[in-house]
Amino acid sequence: MIDQRNFIYMFYGFAAAWVIVTAYVAYLAVRERRLREELDRVRRMLEESEKKA
Amino acid sequence: MRNKIVFVLCVLAAGILCWQLYNILLILPNEKDQGAIYRIVYFHVPAIFTGFMGFFVALAASGTYLVTRNLKYDAFAAAVTEVSLAFATIVLATGMIWGRIIWGIWWTWDARLTTMLVCWLIYAGYLMLRRAIDEPTQRARLSAVVSIFGCTDILIVWKSIEWWRTQHPGPVLSVREGGGMAPGMEGPIYWNWLALMCLAAVLVIIRMRQENISREIDSLRRLAHSY
Amino acid sequence: MGTISVGSFLNATLAIAAKDLRSEFRTKEALNASFAFSVVILVLFSFAFDPSSEQLQTISGGLLWLVFSFAGALILNRSFARELQNDCLDALISSPAPAGAIFLGKTLANFVLLMIVELASLGVFAIFYDSRFGARLGSIALVIALGTWGITVIGTMFSALTVNLRMREMMLPTLVYPLLVPALMAAMTLSTDLMNGTPIGKENMIWLRVLAGFDFIYSILAVVFIDVVLVG
Repeated sequence: MIDQRNFIYMFYGFAAAWVIVTAYVAYLAVRERRLREELDRVRRMLEESEKKA
Repeated sequence: MRNKIVFVLCVLAAGILCWQLYNILLILPNEKDQGAIYRIVYFHVPAIFTGFMGFFVALAASGTYLVTRNLKYDAFAAAVTEVSLAFATIVLATGMIWGRIIWGIWWTWDARLTTMLVCWLIYAGYLMLRRAIDEPTQRARLSAVVSIFGCTDILIVWKSIEWWRTQHPGPVLSVREGGGMAPGMEGPIYWNWLALMCLAAVLVIIRMRQENISREIDSLRRLAHSY
Repeated sequence: MGTISVGSFLNATLAIAAKDLRSEFRTKEALNASFAFSVVILVLFSFAFDPSSEQLQTISGGLLWLVFSFAGALILNRSFARELQNDCLDALISSPAPAGAIFLGKTLANFVLLMIVELASLGVFAIFYDSRFGARLGSIALVIALGTWGITVIGTMFSALTVNLRMREMMLPTLVYPLLVPALMAAMTLSTDLMNGTPIGKENMIWLRVLAGFDFIYSILAVVFIDVVLVG
């Protein structure tokens, strides 16, 4: 059976590592979505200016 | 093709981490002095390897950019530095929690901790610099120089504080002299290192893709404005 | 760079150093601001710590270099920034002087200016904190010179790097201070030891080597990369 001393702190430690990784992945996901929206917007803008020209 | 690579690496990383988590929590024997918290080392140490390597990889990428002037090397350097910053944060966070319990203090100015903190600060400065420059070529050029200076600095910091006060546990891995870990307990460190490297690779690939999208947006925007 | 003779390189370096120094001595803006700032810090610290206590012995080196690096930031920020007006920076870059000479000239000028401020601050420090180190003045001067060169090399390099950025005043300290950590640590340890009576011996020789190594490595790196930073 796993040693019970300092068990809660081990948990905090593991949690810290996972929270940081998850936070970074979430940040990447948000950034990806924002970039794709921007890309679509710029592509549409380009099509419109090509049509006008 | 690249999506397949990402998927495979993800599965590999997740698989190894789950297996090792089972190993770490249930199979490994207890350590004599520290209680359960010593198991944090199985994330702390692999994260150090992964976070530190970022420096040298970024240095190589920055140097290659300056020689070839191909922006994809700059994108790679930026991605690697950002991912390494995340891992460096993990190192500091897990280290501080461990230190608070075992030594009773959140922080001390010992060799490895100071090196890691300076490492973190240099990464953060690099990323802040990138955010401050809009023009891609200028951004790539200047951040490459910062990366080179930063990596040299970390090497100097590391070597010089090895002679300074050392409160941090000495080397425990058997590959370095003075190993102090029982043979069965060392395996998870290397397995977790592999897992974290796979995770890091996945994150770098995703981040690089975002850099490429960003550059495409820039060039399309320029094209649109030229009409 | 083509074929530049050592003579003309030195000439260019000294010319630029002289230009910067002359320009600074005419107004003395940065010198005064820098010196005033360091006096203020020293005074404030003397409120925080009892000047005659044991505590002060252990932090004297650290305090001194803290003062030096903050004062230095004021001088270094202006180094390349002063060239922005009237396109002087472009004129300088397109002149026949090699980029390395421009860099070394400015570094030399900053070094002289910072040394002036530091020596004056050292005097103030000795008075406020009743510190006696006359016996080891030579060693202290050496440590201060080496440390100051380290600060100026990195500071001038990054002053050139950040000169065209929006948030120059914030980016310069953010980038420079982490890089200066080894040099500052070495200088602080050596200064504390010297001020408390320990000469530079077997134990702290390593720090002198670190400082000298830092200066040497970064001087070379900076001269190599200044072309990339200034020109492209």
